[in-house]
Amino acid sequence: MPIIEVKNLSKSYEYYRQESGLMGAVKSFFARETLYAEAVKGINFSIEEGELVGFLGPNGAGKTTTLKMLSGILYPTSGDARVLGFKPTDRKKEYQRQFALVMGQKNQLVADLPAMESFILNKEIYEVSDNDFKKTLNELVDVLDIGNILDIQTRKLSLGQRMKCELAAALIHSPKVLFLDEPTIGLDVVAQKNIRDFLKRYNKEKKTTIILTSHYMEDIKDLCRRVIIINLGKVIYDGAIDELIKKHAPYKLLKITFDENGIRRDQVEKYGEVLEFSSYRAVIKVARGDAKKVAIALLSSPLPVDDILIDEVDIDDVIRKVFGK
Amino acid sequence: MKKYLTIIKTYWQRGLTYRFTILAYRAGEMAEAVVLVLMWTAIYSDQNVIKGFTLPEMITYFLIGNLFSAATRNFLPGLMSRDIKDGGLSMFLLRPMSYFNFILSREIGRISFVTALSLVTNGLIILFFLNYFIFNFDIPYLLLIAIMISLAFIIELLISYIVGLVAFWTDEVDGLHSTFDKLKKLFSGGYFPISILPAIFVNVSYALPFAYSFFVPAQLYLKKIDLMAGARGIFVQIVWIIALYAISNWIWKKGLRRYEGVGI
Ligand SMILES: Nc1ncnc2c1ncn2[C@@H]1O[C@H](COP(=O)(O)OP(=O)(O)OP(=O)(O)O)[C@@H](O)[C@H]1O
Ligand SMILES: [Mg+2]
Repeated sequence: MPIIEVKNLSKSYEYYRQESGLMGAVKSFFARETLYAEAVKGINFSIEEGELVGFLGPNGAGKTTTLKMLSGILYPTSGDARVLGFKPTDRKKEYQRQFALVMGQKNQLVADLPAMESFILNKEIYEVSDNDFKKTLNELVDVLDIGNILDIQTRKLSLGQRMKCELAAALIHSPKVLFLDEPTIGLDVVAQKNIRDFLKRYNKEKKTTIILTSHYMEDIKDLCRRVIIINLGKVIYDGAIDELIKKHAPYKLLKITFDENGIRRDQVEKYGEVLEFSSYRAVIKVARGDAKKVAIALLSSPLPVDDILIDEVDIDDVIRKVFGK
Repeated sequence: MKKYLTIIKTYWQRGLTYRFTILAYRAGEMAEAVVLVLMWTAIYSDQNVIKGFTLPEMITYFLIGNLFSAATRNFLPGLMSRDIKDGGLSMFLLRPMSYFNFILSREIGRISFVTALSLVTNGLIILFFLNYFIFNFDIPYLLLIAIMISLAFIIELLISYIVGLVAFWTDEVDGLHSTFDKLKKLFSGGYFPISILPAIFVNVSYALPFAYSFFVPAQLYLKKIDLMAGARGIFVQIVWIIALYAISNWIWKKGLRRYEGVGI
């Protein structure tokens, strides 16, 4: 049985427009035209236990809205969502004790208090036993390397330090399902990598089912084998990330380095579209099926080839192409 | 139970980090009390009794009433509307604990230090005007007052909670809160003893919950009403608690459907 099952899930928000300036404000004080934003339009997917799924889409695609419905924060306008067999909006305690939502831009830690106080608060609210708490906390503090910042007011921490504490706070009750909404937003590359490594390890060791949204392709490439892409509230791709590349990128890249005196551009142009060029290095785009053939041709040519690497197209480009549709 | 205590303790700690603000407010409170006493002393300069109150009774009424109102007040609506408007409520909706229980515990934690200090300053003010102050050591009266004040605390919390919930529809509740506060002060007898108004007004006040956090316990303290009337008041309070609780539940359910968890 899938852990997460979403059927025809939709959500529309009510909002209104306001003309700029004083007159606009006065007008909208007396009469507002209510508009509806269809943020999510009948999406379907299901996720099995232990999967780590990337949830992708451009700004405003409906990712956060979906995660909020799965967490029971928002009532769907129509459709159905089940997580661990529960209907999220029933907000059953048994459900709430088994999942966590972490949002990169929203904190649950009490800003004026050290993170440790928030951990203890969560321990009590989630009714975690003293033993489990000690064990889980030690583990988290160890892997996240936050031992020396637990007693500092959270608002005095750096973004990355705070994020690590947020993650720890959300994992105190060892959730089975974890929703992560842009957990690496605004972090530097090192901090991003830290969080990624942690998530990878956590998912592997605990078999936690994770849905992750991120605008950083590194996160997705590194962590997820499966991605669900949504745009304008609709699922436009659901499957393995490799398949996505094969399907939307019928090309491979040949990354060639040259030695001796280098080469001229026109010497490689006949092999395929040249994406990058310098005298000692060229990147050529060739059809997926032709990659090997072209590589052999290059090696047997008189060009001073030092090395050839056959590589996939960058996932960023693929995603951009998919979003663009 | 332990979780509630932990919440209370956590937010009590947090409150302590703002000791300056808390102390600064107390200064204003003391100044206000002094002005009040001076004003009434001036009003009484050419008469001994106004509407059945002597000067010491009048001053005692305000000093003890302020003490009661300090013990029953809370600052819930502002905090709640912020939770609702900025989407902070989302974080509470995730947890296996009702928002109501959470914020009630949080509020008790948040205000207990302020309330304790406020009780101390109000006590100091009483000491300062000891000449005017009438003492009442009648145990049954004091007991009844204690019960009444505890219930009044709960009522005030429920009312504030309901005012805060209005933010689901309006985003902001400052205006409503402030209007409500003024009405409350009027009906509770915080501006003047309501007994100086026409009888109809007094009767209405007895049916409303507000008078029980100031006027009624102050009158009890002054023994201007008897224990029986006090007991009737407790009954009215209990009816209000039940009604307010039911209303708040209903509004919460309606409001939550409108909640959009904005801000991310
Ligand atoms: N409270 C709201 N009221 C009205 N419209 C909203 C509200 N919240 C979101 N929307 C709209 O719903 C759509 C989906 O928003 P959502 O936050 O789910 O996008 P997202 O995929 O998380 O985007 P991002 O990558 O920018 O975080 C957007 O068009 C947004 O404008
Ligand atoms: Mg989002």
